Amino acid sequence: MRKILGTSALALVFMAASARAETINILVEGGGEMLQKAVAEKFTAETGIQVNFTVVPYQGVFDKFSAEIASGSSAFDVVTIDVVWNAKFADHVEDLSPLFTDAIRADLPPALLADAKVRDKLIGMPGWANAEIIFYRRDLFDKAEEKEVFQAKYGYPLAPPTTWQQWRDIAKFFTRDTDSDGKIDFWGTDTIGTFSEEWMAHVLQAGSPGVILDKDGQVIIDNEGHKKALEFYISPHCIDHSVPENVNEIGWGEAQNLFYQGKTAMMKFWGHAYKMTPPDSKISGKVGVAPMLAGDAGIAAIPGPWYNVVPSTSQHKDAAKKFIAFAIANNALGIEAPLGLAATNSAYRSYAGKPGYEHFTPLLQTLSAPATRGRPMNEKYQEIVDEAVLPAVQQALTCQADVGEVLTEAKETIEEILN
Amino acid sequence: MHSAPRLNVSAILINAAALVLVLSYALPYIYLLMTSIKPAADVQQIPPSFFPAVVSFENFREVMRSSTLPRAFINSLIVAVLTTALSLSVAVPAAYVATQYRRRITTIFLLFALVTRMVPSVALGVPLFQLLKSLGLLDTIPGLVLAHTSAAVPLALLLMSAFFEGIPKELEEAARMDGCTRFQAFRKIVLPVMTGGIAVTALFTFITSWNEFLYALLLTSEATKTAPIVIAEYNSVYGLAWGAMTAAAVLYSLPVIIVTLALQKQIVGGLTFGAVKG
Repeated sequence: MRKILGTSALALVFMAASARAETINILVEGGGEMLQKAVAEKFTAETGIQVNFTVVPYQGVFDKFSAEIASGSSAFDVVTIDVVWNAKFADHVEDLSPLFTDAIRADLPPALLADAKVRDKLIGMPGWANAEIIFYRRDLFDKAEEKEVFQAKYGYPLAPPTTWQQWRDIAKFFTRDTDSDGKIDFWGTDTIGTFSEEWMAHVLQAGSPGVILDKDGQVIIDNEGHKKALEFYISPHCIDHSVPENVNEIGWGEAQNLFYQGKTAMMKFWGHAYKMTPPDSKISGKVGVAPMLAGDAGIAAIPGPWYNVVPSTSQHKDAAKKFIAFAIANNALGIEAPLGLAATNSAYRSYAGKPGYEHFTPLLQTLSAPATRGRPMNEKYQEIVDEAVLPAVQQALTCQADVGEVLTEAKETIEEILN
Repeated sequence: MHSAPRLNVSAILINAAALVLVLSYALPYIYLLMTSIKPAADVQQIPPSFFPAVVSFENFREVMRSSTLPRAFINSLIVAVLTTALSLSVAVPAAYVATQYRRRITTIFLLFALVTRMVPSVALGVPLFQLLKSLGLLDTIPGLVLAHTSAAVPLALLLMSAFFEGIPKELEEAARMDGCTRFQAFRKIVLPVMTGGIAVTALFTFITSWNEFLYALLLTSEATKTAPIVIAEYNSVYGLAWGAMTAAAVLYSLPVIIVTLALQKQIVGGLTFGAVKG
């Protein structure tokens, strides 16, 4: 009897020990925890493997993961990283190619699959993705008087813009002085001067084979597509005056707030903002959405995906990979989170007809557009943006510089960085 | 007959200059305060507004509803108090010995403390991470306290050395003649004279730990996360919750303001300590 009791106790101890071992730690940014919580709960319920999230600020993911790599061992089994870090961390994470089954490959927008690949290795599985789409004031676009005046002025019906020219026309049309004090107080749209991704989307729409670098790593920032896109990007500010003047102070947050405060008629913005419109905002219930603009190459955007990677130093690689496979198979579970994003076509489609998810169809259309592609997969991407790309955009936004010269200078700076 | 009060031009000028100086320091904080009481939709306006059109405490309510912030505040408080206590217990006697028993080695010791202040904390982040990991102290209060203490001790040492410079050596000698041991002279005679200096040093050490971000980010995870990390999380890749962030920052600044006001007398005394040394 004693022997049996002793053996049972030992078995219990071993079971408890093995149960403790079946815990994976995930390093993630705040929004990412929300999007993966439901998946993690279901994963634990079905597999018994516990999931702990360590939530840090955005830059903290990079800093903490870098420190872990430098220390040679990792407390984390999964790290959810922004696509801009894929190239940087590629050599320090597991190859997840076996998890990319044919079914999963077919269910992912091509741009997300391409961004997962670094030096022939699929280093991360998309957790969720975002892209800029068109937000517009449905109440204004539906107004009979506005429609009539617009038709008379521009010769075509007022509708959500699909082309560059329509974007400029509609922005000009809605820019006005609503209280007749001699000052413009309502703008057609905004121009973001503190980030360059929106311009990059126009570069792809213009038909450039890539953004900043081509597939061989050659600098192409001075090609025709980049020039045309930059000319278009600055025109609402420099020519049409259909945006608030302080463009170099406008970032994502400011652009979003201008729209939420009812001061702009349209904005190009990341899809998640549709679900996050504050209920007490002036425009709540009045927002319409459409796919991103199209240029000569059609609709295109720069996606904003996040990838789940397994650090090479993880102690629980199998459990981590199991979680990642489970997460992509149950990708739609994250949609109920406040940010309401997913990565797979099927997850987006499963919600597309539901009220409150009107943005999913344009978002998926934009993410899956043939011309949509990711940022250059280069370790020095952020440096290139900070030192060359953004300064070029900002210089062009002074409206006094020659766009061609600005891009030629940017090319030289990028070549210096790369060499 | 009363003569009309004379207009003291220089006093007016000094007060005006002081007011401008105070405002230049206080304005960012006042702006933070004003932002925290604006409704979420009005926080980022173009053009920006200084005063709220409508006063709303929604941002504070949102912060109070946060499940992580209260624990992070407690973690910050524990870490800052322990760091201050540990730093002072090391720095005060060390500074006393270094200044009162000056030798070549003590001068080198103080110089070395100064040099450690010149090393950027980011360069020490990874070595500290590895060190604490090998000791099993990652994501623990003692681990973070040790990391903060390593940054705070040189500061405390330098500050206390400056204060001890103002103490005449004869003070200890008189106590020794009255029968005190060296330690008793330090504890019963020197330390009570130094309360102002210690208060200033304690405050600076406390603030160093209270506001520290990088080590807290690298060395903690969930269990011991401090408030600066949680406040930074309001700046997500999907949006910057300015309202909640400013409300949390206002709440987080209150303990330091209260401690500073409470210790005002000692701090002023400490800052002017030795200023009239003959």
